[in-house]
Amino acid sequence: MAIPLYGFLEGDTLGLLVLAEEGETVLDLARKLQDAASLRVARNDKIAFVYNGKAIELGLTVAQAGLQASDRFEVIGKGKL
Amino acid sequence: MLSREEWLPLARKLDWDFTYVREDEVFPQVISGHPWLPHSEWKEWEESFKTSYREYVDNQYEKDMAVYAVRDAVGRLENIQKLAAPWMNSLKLHAAALPLAEFTGVIGSLRGARFGRDSAWRTMSTFGALDEYRHTQIPLLLFHQLVRWDAQFDWAHKFYHTNNWFAVASRHFFDELILGQSAIEFAIGANFVLETGFTNLQFVGLASLARESSDHMFERMVTSIQTDEARHAQIGHPVIAVVMKHDPEYVQYLLDKWFWRSWRLFSILTGVSTDYLTALDQRPYSFKEFMEEWIIDQFLRTLDEFGLKKPWYWHIVEDELDIYHHMIYASAYTYRATLWFDFVIPSPAERKWLRQKYPKYWDDMDAVWEQVSERWRTVGPGAANELKVHGTALPTFCDLCQLPLSGGTPRKNTANVLAKDGRKYIFCSEPCRWIFLREPERYANHKDLVKRVLSGEAPTQLSELLTEYFRLTPETWGKDVHNGAYDWLAASKASSAQR
Repeated sequence: MAIPLYGFLEGDTLGLLVLAEEGETVLDLARKLQDAASLRVARNDKIAFVYNGKAIELGLTVAQAGLQASDRFEVIGKGKL
Repeated sequence: MLSREEWLPLARKLDWDFTYVREDEVFPQVISGHPWLPHSEWKEWEESFKTSYREYVDNQYEKDMAVYAVRDAVGRLENIQKLAAPWMNSLKLHAAALPLAEFTGVIGSLRGARFGRDSAWRTMSTFGALDEYRHTQIPLLLFHQLVRWDAQFDWAHKFYHTNNWFAVASRHFFDELILGQSAIEFAIGANFVLETGFTNLQFVGLASLARESSDHMFERMVTSIQTDEARHAQIGHPVIAVVMKHDPEYVQYLLDKWFWRSWRLFSILTGVSTDYLTALDQRPYSFKEFMEEWIIDQFLRTLDEFGLKKPWYWHIVEDELDIYHHMIYASAYTYRATLWFDFVIPSPAERKWLRQKYPKYWDDMDAVWEQVSERWRTVGPGAANELKVHGTALPTFCDLCQLPLSGGTPRKNTANVLAKDGRKYIFCSEPCRWIFLREPERYANHKDLVKRVLSGEAPTQLSELLTEYFRLTPETWGKDVHNGAYDWLAASKASSAQR
């Protein structure tokens, strides 16, 4: 079942709803957000995924990262944290 | 014969002490408001601008005749059709937002007319209600000729009856502030904060923009409305003077709450009109300059007079002067089909002006406009490509103000999540979160657009959301004014190709 999450991409002007699958990696989730925001923000290949104020290893799944429905995550340029 | 100064005080102070009913039966607290005080505390209530009924009728008649004269001279359809396209869309924004919101002002004022605690207050509120009828009917009349000419002006009249996201946010605001408040809360939240703080001067600013845009009909309309506003906005002052003696913390709370909520809506309506929907050579000032000169300084002086403090989040407002309406406009441009009016991309000259006026965060906003421009360059101009330069993901909204989660800056969005009583809420800012937590029982069960989509109440697909939920059509939904066919875009594409 899809998990609705609020995604905030660095450089963007608003938050977007992103539907995540438990088994997908947070990297995949980040790329989904980047695609959704591509009209406003150029893609950055070097990114960090931030949840609850902490950087999450990109290879972890959504479930492993502990993301739950209606949580907020950020995608920022790597090295900015 | 008595002079006006001799008889008008008799006509203003008309209350007697009740002997056959209790005062609290005539003015129950739940409608009259907190704090409940005996009339002895209210009897000195005094308005700054006094008027008799006869004077009111005479003045309003003269004002109406002046508005109709200008309409007849320069407000005909053929005059309006010559106005610049961006300004036309500012008119569509106001044609939707203004009339029915003014009618809620009739209802709120009538509450003061019946449940205000002094006869002078009730009399001024009665005139205030008549003012708001006028403010409802004038725009309905003046814009009516446009409804057959442009389907978006026609759609504007059903705005508040739809679930369009901006209608949801507007109704959320007006339902509570204007319709659901006690007489005291209305006097403080609406007359003082919204009207004295914002709309009275908003109309001054709008009139100036209209004049620069050669829209003399709208200029006359808002100037005329503003003269009424200046009179009935003053109702708040003597109410605050009394309540401050008994519960100053409550006044401060109402100020803090309603200033924030008014700021949110006002900055969208006026910020977007000033900095984007008015042609560059017709902008007399930036939105920030207008706010600083007309609103901020004056309002802070007024707070000082009453011994009120600046709202606790003042530093956020000061920062948002540089960014919030830019975030909203760029977001709205990329979701323009969700609205009923058209948008423009700021040109290089306009971006230069915006950079000069808003240096603090403009680099980040300029990057967004460059990215949007690049999409048009890639797909090419034309109506057929409108939706290729449009967002596809569902935007998200604040659980308090119901506006997009566009608080903060592109580098640091201030959206924050709250878990409470088994549910999660998200807010665009700390002030919205604070307001929610002060009165969670009022807000906890409201569903923003995202929650409606997730619950199945609203469609998930954008096209169905537009047509079935927002009740827009391909004819009425917002587009780029030029469908991407900007001379400067074509020129920059050509010069890139040559390189």
